[in-house]
Amino acid sequence: MTRGSWERKGETVEVILTGRKLCKWYQLGEVRVQALRDVDIEIFQGELVVVLGPSGSGKSTLLNMLGGMDKVSSGELFYRQQPLHGMNEKGLTRYRREAVGFIFQFYNLMPNLTAWENVHLSTEIAAKPLSAKEVLIDVGLGERLEHFPAQLSGGEQQRVAVARAVAKNPEFLLCDEPTGALDFETGIQVLKLLRKFSREHKRTVVLITHNAGIADMADRVFYMRDGRLDRTRNNENPLAPEEVSW
Amino acid sequence: MLWRKLMRDVLENKAAYLACLVVISIGLMVYTSLNLTADNLWQAKENFYREYGFPDGFATVQGISDAEIRRLTALPGVARMEGRIVQDVRVIFPGREESAFLRLVTVGLSQETQISKVKHLAGLPLDPHRPGVWVDSQFLAANELEIGGEIPVIIGGRKVFLEIRGQAQSPEYVYPMRTAQDLFPDPRSFGIAYLPLPVMRSLAGESVQFNQLIFQLEPAFSYQDVESLLEPRLERFGLVALYPAKDQVSNFILNQELSSTEATANVMPLLFLAVGAVILYILLKRIIEQQRGQIGTLRSFGYGSREIQAHYLSYPLIIGLAGGLLGSLSGLWLSFPMTAMYQAFFHLPELRGRVTFDYVLFALLLSVGFALLAGYFGSRQAMRLSPAEAMRPPAPLSGRHIQLERWNWFWHSLTVQGKMATRNLFRHRQRSLFTFVGIMFCFSMIAVTGYFNNIISVMIFEQMTKVQTHDIKINFAAPLAAESARRELLNLPGIKRVEVMLEAPATLKHGWRERDTVIIGLGRDAELFNLFDQDGRRVLPPEGGLILSSQLAEALEAKEGTIITLESALLRGDTVSLPVHSIIPQYMGINAYMDKDALNRVLRQGELATSALLVAEEEALPLITEKYREASQVATLENRQQLLDNFNEMMATYGFTVWILAVFAFITGFAVIYSFSIVALAERKRELASLRVLGMTTGEVSQILTFEQWLLALAAILAGIPFTIYLIGQMAQAMGSDLFTLPLIFEPNSFIIAFVGTACFILLAQWTLLRQIQRFSLVEALKERD
Ligand SMILES: Nc1ncnc2c1ncn2[C@@H]1O[C@H](COP(=O)(O)OP(=O)(O)OP(=O)(O)O)[C@@H](O)[C@H]1O
Ligand SMILES: [Mg+2]
Repeated sequence: MTRGSWERKGETVEVILTGRKLCKWYQLGEVRVQALRDVDIEIFQGELVVVLGPSGSGKSTLLNMLGGMDKVSSGELFYRQQPLHGMNEKGLTRYRREAVGFIFQFYNLMPNLTAWENVHLSTEIAAKPLSAKEVLIDVGLGERLEHFPAQLSGGEQQRVAVARAVAKNPEFLLCDEPTGALDFETGIQVLKLLRKFSREHKRTVVLITHNAGIADMADRVFYMRDGRLDRTRNNENPLAPEEVSW
Repeated sequence: MLWRKLMRDVLENKAAYLACLVVISIGLMVYTSLNLTADNLWQAKENFYREYGFPDGFATVQGISDAEIRRLTALPGVARMEGRIVQDVRVIFPGREESAFLRLVTVGLSQETQISKVKHLAGLPLDPHRPGVWVDSQFLAANELEIGGEIPVIIGGRKVFLEIRGQAQSPEYVYPMRTAQDLFPDPRSFGIAYLPLPVMRSLAGESVQFNQLIFQLEPAFSYQDVESLLEPRLERFGLVALYPAKDQVSNFILNQELSSTEATANVMPLLFLAVGAVILYILLKRIIEQQRGQIGTLRSFGYGSREIQAHYLSYPLIIGLAGGLLGSLSGLWLSFPMTAMYQAFFHLPELRGRVTFDYVLFALLLSVGFALLAGYFGSRQAMRLSPAEAMRPPAPLSGRHIQLERWNWFWHSLTVQGKMATRNLFRHRQRSLFTFVGIMFCFSMIAVTGYFNNIISVMIFEQMTKVQTHDIKINFAAPLAAESARRELLNLPGIKRVEVMLEAPATLKHGWRERDTVIIGLGRDAELFNLFDQDGRRVLPPEGGLILSSQLAEALEAKEGTIITLESALLRGDTVSLPVHSIIPQYMGINAYMDKDALNRVLRQGELATSALLVAEEEALPLITEKYREASQVATLENRQQLLDNFNEMMATYGFTVWILAVFAFITGFAVIYSFSIVALAERKRELASLRVLGMTTGEVSQILTFEQWLLALAAILAGIPFTIYLIGQMAQAMGSDLFTLPLIFEPNSFIIAFVGTACFILLAQWTLLRQIQRFSLVEALKERD
């Protein structure tokens, strides 16, 4: 069962995602690849979670499960009180549409839509979206609305991607190595945006990274190894994005 | 917003989509224009027949009186019956050499009550007291005659001037041919004139009796019911022919044209649509593979798989709609000149183009249907991916060893590019297969065109230099005593050789199969009409047997030794049975041959001849023509040149259609190769760019793509040769008629033409491809992540 809320630092916070014994395996012909093994997890409203772990440890797989991008092989997964395991494709689509914002390492913008069109594309299907233009101005791209992705730098493209996820006004953001393809300075900019979104709107952000340094800005850090949630660490005093270093 | 993405995606690949659009448009243009034209033709025919009437049956006799006709009308099943006098008379145009004929047909003065009325188009009404006629407009136009003018004709040996009182058209002469043996109407040399019965009698003699009967059936009766009653009763009036409406020459040809147009209209477009659909399918599969990451992203922020499939279906939908509109509207437009073209052949008063949108709508549905089908199958697989799966790059296509590598001598002779290309062929089996089929189809279409071009000369050459070697053929108006006719002709100045023939119309029967044909009796010493067997050896008709043309033998299912029963009006009710001696291939005519003396014995009417073949000095030819043109014993006089011209003209109309097909084939072939190359290029941009970085030239890089295509093309061309032979076999069967058989002779040059044509469109496609390869920037290609 899930707990609806949790006492933390003296205040009540809601649990928005609960996973019990989550497993995911891929059948490749004869071979079965076990990507997640019995992961128990809870994610709270408004916190910033960083997931660390070596390559192939199952970070992306976990994020995909949380975001309803794929179905779990076994175990239970709840969004608030709502079971995601066993939900059909239609339900998962609605879940992604209403609750989740994704950000990827390689931006994944539509190459033949402009910055504004890319953001607008996602607000079109959202229930209570923010204004695409305002969000783009917020991420500092007010001047680049009509530019195509190919005309933007990597950092700018990633900011469009952040704007695209944020503009949907989702319950939480799932970011798979959002700074992986960016240099330090640009990476910091993107992290600031994520932190800002999380603080201003009291929204959850789950962020995968290979940089242990980034973990210092998280409320909590998950360490993954071999498809297992190895351990968790609580940061009593998370650093501001500009203070982290790697 | 997805619409913008769609439009930009399409624009990025505009050339490939355009190629596809053109193919679809061509298909629908053919569909709409031919169907509309056929509809116009059908509508005009129905209206004309309904309004002016068309008899259910026809009989030709030597002569029958009014009273007898009234008696026959009382037969059960006959609703009405009318008699008329139909007579072909020679027209004497001063200073013209070729013969021209006018068919005089009597019409009642109060047309209202007639079974088959004549539409009076212009001029004055007919007058029972004046030698005036209504003439069909085409004859007037072709001979530059006008209403009020006169036509000099020979009737009963007398020269008479017929006054042209007006123009008219009968439903029975929509396609006016003098005999069923003519290949097509020639308004310059044959026309129809309508005149009142009293005028006819005053011209041809008061005693002339009706020689044609037309009748209408009672609603509940079939033609067969009435035929069996009429046939024995008409025998004593010298029955020559008794046939239902569907066998009436003009009606028969009109219906045949209608059904063949309809068949083409419905089959041809399917071919083009199928090709278009395949191109769309491949393009869509490619774009979905390429946009895998984009699909995953869209899914990640909440687009459902249905929405995404709908998005990808809108690509083919747009192409289908655009192609459908373009094709069907241009088809609508094209139906006007095509209908006008038919006006020249079929004289239907109300034949004209119409603007109707039924077929435009059907065409749209058809193209959208095909496009969506292609789209559905093209996008189906990708839509099954789970979103997480879509985010991952596709499992790289496995580089596997292929069977072909076992053939060492072949494999080791390949360059590295060659090896890459060959493995690629097997990596994309489906696409390779489509390309293969596409090239094969196009190659064959061009080869078929080449064949038709060739075959015209082959047939003419055969017929003119081997089979019929005479200069002039004279058909007698009535059978003449053979020997005296021969001697008279031989006495002409400049004559080198005369051979008389006996041509007897007869029905050949074998079991329930029967066929009306002409038995040609040839003399022992015949040199001007020669028969050849399968191996090109001369054969002479045997004493007591028949030689059949292969076409006739097939129709009768007769083999050598089969006993055939002959029926002929000339036999007066008797039948004769004869064995088939041999079967010979023949391109023109569906005839049976016998020894002339044997045929005379069978007919028991003495030594008769119905025609003569002449060879004469060149200078003597005009003289002979002049002398016999007006002779009453001569029905027609054909010279070689005329025959040749007629034949050429007919083949030209077929040739035209076939050339259009070849042009379409070329466009289609180009579209297939081009769009598939573009897909292959886009897919391997990175691979190819890496090779460029390694230091290969654009030429070397493009070799990988072109080698692949040549390899496929070679295989397709090899397979195309038997496919062509099969196609021609099918077409020969469909197009061959009683009048000619298309021989299955394959000269290598039609294949050489096809090979060159195929190579041309492949080269053209590759040339555009090379230009693209030269244009793409290495940096961009390598940076691109898809
Ligand atoms: N679709 C799939 N099919 C087969 N195996 C898969 C699939 N997706 C993931 N895996 C396997 O599951 C395991 C976990 O993969 P995952 O992508 O979650 O790792 P990761 O921690 O994100 O690694 P990285 O840091 O390199 O991104 C890996 O062994 C991977 O090969
Ligand atoms: Mg990963």
